[in-house]
Amino acid sequence: MTTAPPADKNGNETGKKARFPSLAPVHSLLAGWAGLALWLLLLLLLALYPYTGVSSLALLVGSQIFVLVTLASNWNLIGGMTGYVDFGHAVFFGVGAYIMAILVTGAPLLISPQWGFWQALPASGAAAALFALLIGLPTLRLKGPYFSIAMLGTLVAMREIVRVSRPITGGGIGLNLPPVLNRIGDYYLMLAIMGLVVSLIWWIQRSEFGQSLIAIREDEVGAEMRGINTTLHKIAAFMIAAFFTGIVGGFWAWQNTFIDPDGVFVETRTVEMVMMSMLGGLGTVWGPPLGAVAIYLLQNLLWSNLFELHLLALGVLLVLIVLFMPEGILGTLGDRSSTSLGRLLARFGRNR
Amino acid sequence: MDQLSQALVSGLLLGGFYAIMVLGFSVIWGVMGVINLAHGEFLMIGAYLAWGLFRFFGIDPFASLALILPLMFLVGYLLQITLINRIVERPHLMTLLVTFGVSIALANLAKIVFTSDPRNVAVAYSGSFQFAGVTFPIVKTIIFAAALLIMGSLHLFLQRSRLGKSIRAAAQNKTAARIVGVDINRVYAITAGICIALTAAAGAMLSPTQAIFPFMGPPFTLKAVTITALGGLGRIPGALMGGLVLGVTEIFVATYVAGIGTNLGVATSFILLVLILVVRPQGLMGGLRPVDAEAD
Repeated sequence: MTTAPPADKNGNETGKKARFPSLAPVHSLLAGWAGLALWLLLLLLLALYPYTGVSSLALLVGSQIFVLVTLASNWNLIGGMTGYVDFGHAVFFGVGAYIMAILVTGAPLLISPQWGFWQALPASGAAAALFALLIGLPTLRLKGPYFSIAMLGTLVAMREIVRVSRPITGGGIGLNLPPVLNRIGDYYLMLAIMGLVVSLIWWIQRSEFGQSLIAIREDEVGAEMRGINTTLHKIAAFMIAAFFTGIVGGFWAWQNTFIDPDGVFVETRTVEMVMMSMLGGLGTVWGPPLGAVAIYLLQNLLWSNLFELHLLALGVLLVLIVLFMPEGILGTLGDRSSTSLGRLLARFGRNR
Repeated sequence: MDQLSQALVSGLLLGGFYAIMVLGFSVIWGVMGVINLAHGEFLMIGAYLAWGLFRFFGIDPFASLALILPLMFLVGYLLQITLINRIVERPHLMTLLVTFGVSIALANLAKIVFTSDPRNVAVAYSGSFQFAGVTFPIVKTIIFAAALLIMGSLHLFLQRSRLGKSIRAAAQNKTAARIVGVDINRVYAITAGICIALTAAAGAMLSPTQAIFPFMGPPFTLKAVTITALGGLGRIPGALMGGLVLGVTEIFVATYVAGIGTNLGVATSFILLVLILVVRPQGLMGGLRPVDAEAD
């Protein structure tokens, strides 16, 4: 038997959980030091991977997966932990990609001297973060679906604005970057960024900052009354997520050597981020990386011969995840009674 | 002066189309609290149906409404009972994600079936006539008249018929409607059927005026949200007013912002939307639901 005050506290917590039945569990699997240790071990193994004499294709695949993991983790920070479901997060990817392209080529703005990759990469992140500040100040005041739609609008509007601003962005024709083939460099750069971002999310989730974000998600008014500066926290989370998304966008533009408005300001990229987070487990640390790897493998192993159907399948998969696994892989594993798939698993477990 | 009155008339005609385009979106949101992000895709499907009927059977886009309306009613009804009714009670995130998934799936299905080549419906009466020194494009004038007619009939249906009354009852208080014997799931399915049929009809009427392609949907979804924020949820006069305001604003931007104005339709609509939501989160006419009220 416990003493009265903790029991009361527990009672409050269960009451709260019942009020928000389909939000992700606050405590994810392996959220502690063991999780971080496993993660660092995995990073070490991935760093040693190129020494096993792999092909340059494998390195490309590796860097692509790291891009997806980074994007999903970033989206999870604002969409999963803070509870502001951002349907336009690809806009920061696009801003980063365009800043990179404009700075590196110098044309068509005719900046002289042209910037190198290493100067332009932080600049693309910083530009995305600045853009997040400007966009976030009005939109983060909106609640629930209104925020989602405003961000979707930001994405569609930016695509239009970039296409119209031909003197700066090259318009609908797009921009070509100098082709530099450095697969091993790309691999290590993205590995480093991914390692940094996921570790940062792990740290945020344990810190007071992260707990405040979760408090905002659960009950924003309540969080404000407890003395959390909700505006500051939301903007900070938004800017962090945008910064790294912008960096990834810049990297992607560099690796892809060509960008146009329809290629970077595209809803599909947002859908991917949302789906990876959802599939892995919204609001958890390790869910989005897991979801990203799962989606990548699905796309490549199952759908490489159904190229045409790939996006159709993506949409259908999103619907199926929401219907049957709203708490994702980690949520389903963590609490088997909460989702239909989890209940199914639990039932099989009992029968055996 | 001439330019001003021309811009005003073009804006009002466009606004009439927007009003009929937004009805389905606004009624689904008002009755079920579902923000249908696949709205633009149903419009796109309607446009493709009209194109197919015109291209292969020579049926006029306005005459093809007689086929498109019942067909798309069925589609909406089935979609609602198989999919949306399962998640309608869940938090907003879930309905947004599901309709987002449906929108991506439909757009890419259309890309596979119809390819991404733009299609056109070239009707014989695509010209225009002059009246009081102002040019009226014939097709857009017909759309405007049809929009008023459809809105009037829908208004009468919702106000007078028994079914319309149960739809309004479900929108006002779901629990109370259930108590007095309204079959909520059936009412929702019929509402979705009507709304999706109307949206597809708007797309069919749009087909003679612009190119049809698989990814034409999202801008319309965004404009629908803007108009709903302007005019309020599920209100037909509100939809008309919001549509007219957006139409006139858009045409004025296109006319008076030199050079690039014509390509800024979505950006205009977006800036208008964010302004409204930030200044008056409850919508201009006070019709948007506060999010907190829907949480439980």
